[in-house]
Amino acid sequence: MGSSWLDVPRDWMASLGDIAKFSWRVMAEVFQGRALHFFGETLRQAGILILGSAIVIWGMAFILGLTCGIEAAYFNRALGAPAYAGFFSAWCELREVLPYAFGYMMSAKVGTGLVAEIGAMRISDEIDALEVMGISSLTFLCSTRLLAAWIVLPFMYIAAVGAGFFASYLAVVEQIGEVSSGGYFLIFWMFQNPPDLLYSTIKGMAMATVIVLVGCYYGYTAGGGPVGVGTATAKSMVLNTVLVHVVGMLGTQVFWGTNPRAPIGG
Amino acid sequence: MSDDQRDNEYIDEVEAETGADPVPEPVADGRSDDARAQEAAGRSGMTSEPADQIPANILDQTREGEHPYQWHEGVNREHGSTDAVEFIDVKKSFGRNTVLNGLNFGIPEGQISMIIGPSGTGKSVCIKHMVGLLYPDEGDVLVHGVSVPNMADDDLFEMRKKFGVLFQDGALFGSMNVFDNVAFPLRQHTDKGEEEIGEICNRRLREVGLAGALDKMPNELSGGMRKRAGFARALVLDPQIVLFDEPDSGLDPVRTALLCELIQEVHAENGGAYVVITHDIMSARRVADYLAVLWKGRIVESGPASELFNSPNQFVRQFLSGEARGPLGME
Repeated sequence: MGSSWLDVPRDWMASLGDIAKFSWRVMAEVFQGRALHFFGETLRQAGILILGSAIVIWGMAFILGLTCGIEAAYFNRALGAPAYAGFFSAWCELREVLPYAFGYMMSAKVGTGLVAEIGAMRISDEIDALEVMGISSLTFLCSTRLLAAWIVLPFMYIAAVGAGFFASYLAVVEQIGEVSSGGYFLIFWMFQNPPDLLYSTIKGMAMATVIVLVGCYYGYTAGGGPVGVGTATAKSMVLNTVLVHVVGMLGTQVFWGTNPRAPIGG
Repeated sequence: MSDDQRDNEYIDEVEAETGADPVPEPVADGRSDDARAQEAAGRSGMTSEPADQIPANILDQTREGEHPYQWHEGVNREHGSTDAVEFIDVKKSFGRNTVLNGLNFGIPEGQISMIIGPSGTGKSVCIKHMVGLLYPDEGDVLVHGVSVPNMADDDLFEMRKKFGVLFQDGALFGSMNVFDNVAFPLRQHTDKGEEEIGEICNRRLREVGLAGALDKMPNELSGGMRKRAGFARALVLDPQIVLFDEPDSGLDPVRTALLCELIQEVHAENGGAYVVITHDIMSARRVADYLAVLWKGRIVESGPASELFNSPNQFVRQFLSGEARGPLGME
């Protein structure tokens, strides 16, 4: 039987179904508390996340905050409203720039790392070795990593938001200096409130969850030797990039799509 | 000696044994595989299984005019013990490639068994069935009388604690040093304190000659050292059944001999059912109490090693003597 044009989308759907099923199993192991049997491994993975990714994520958030601050200061000066530079940080950074940047950095640093690490374990029989020792490899390798991400990343994300805000303040108030600190913060706080930070964090965590699950899936199911692991890494990066945007779009629609939650424009 | 001379010698030898022509004239009459196989089966009298029931990839490994299972006598000699693991008519395919095609044999309790056979014939797949890493498409695998494919996940993980497995390359965890690799099963499955775990691990690592490599990471070890560390890890929980997947591959002859000695010593000390997969006939001669010869997904013959080394079966004789001429070719 020859192949038809429907084969490609059918394969995509089959892969998405496999990923969904796998993700459900990994999350179920966390919710049922089985990942806690390997709490030491969970803490080890949390440590790896902190030591390996925190500085990178905070550094990138700081640079993006700085860039946004400079653009905001000059753009608002051009409009004759330099005091409104804080609006950029409060609105755009918190709601869009930082979640997306977090998603990209997680995809590139954590997601690909998971595929490479777990995939290498798969092709060198380490996963089979775990299984024959009577240890669920899915729980030990995937659920512990997901739990570690859920434990560590909210704090890392909120700290990244802080780094971005601080950088914007430096750019607008200290570097460009066309608005006073008080004037900057007046507008900055007017355009955000605690639920916005919560929603932004939920967006970031949803992206992180998807990225960890996709990374674990492609690593866990890797085959075909080192080339297969490389191919799986590339596939995971592509899918994660797409999913980061899907989650970002859904988050914006759900949290701010019907109510901008701002003193103007509503 | 020319190839023709060797061929003639082999043909004479088999004719004398069976009265049949083992390598008939090439058939170029356009008959189906089924017809050719049935004719060959009728000649050998060993099997009458029609070719259309035999997977294509196994027929492809068969010389023209021969039946794929012409040499499979189905003899399962008495080994004087109960079976720790039993394969009951196990069939397993990967896509169109059938690897196990009606495998029937048992691994005796308390003995060192060796599964030998040509490359790609299903030996490693066999091991993976024993520990439930693979499930048969048909048939059953019993460990101590309990069906592995029918176990719930929790029971399967519990059952696997009976096993120690040495993988081909050791399968050490790359993120842990040698000591932590060996200690890992103890830390996961026992309530022993670190001091006791340290004592057990040090003893096992001394046995395999790695007492000085406790802090080394797997990527700092040679292939032989990784195997030995994997061996220590496989033994650390005193398993009832130990599986070795080609422990001698990539080792020099002296290290292979030493590893075989080690397997015998540890078995003598701990007992249990040891299963070694190998191509190496010297290892089989040194270590095996029981031999199973696997080819084309089925057992050609199995039984006590001393009896198999004197088997009249042409395939078994060829394989155990490592001769180029015989039923096994490059197909």
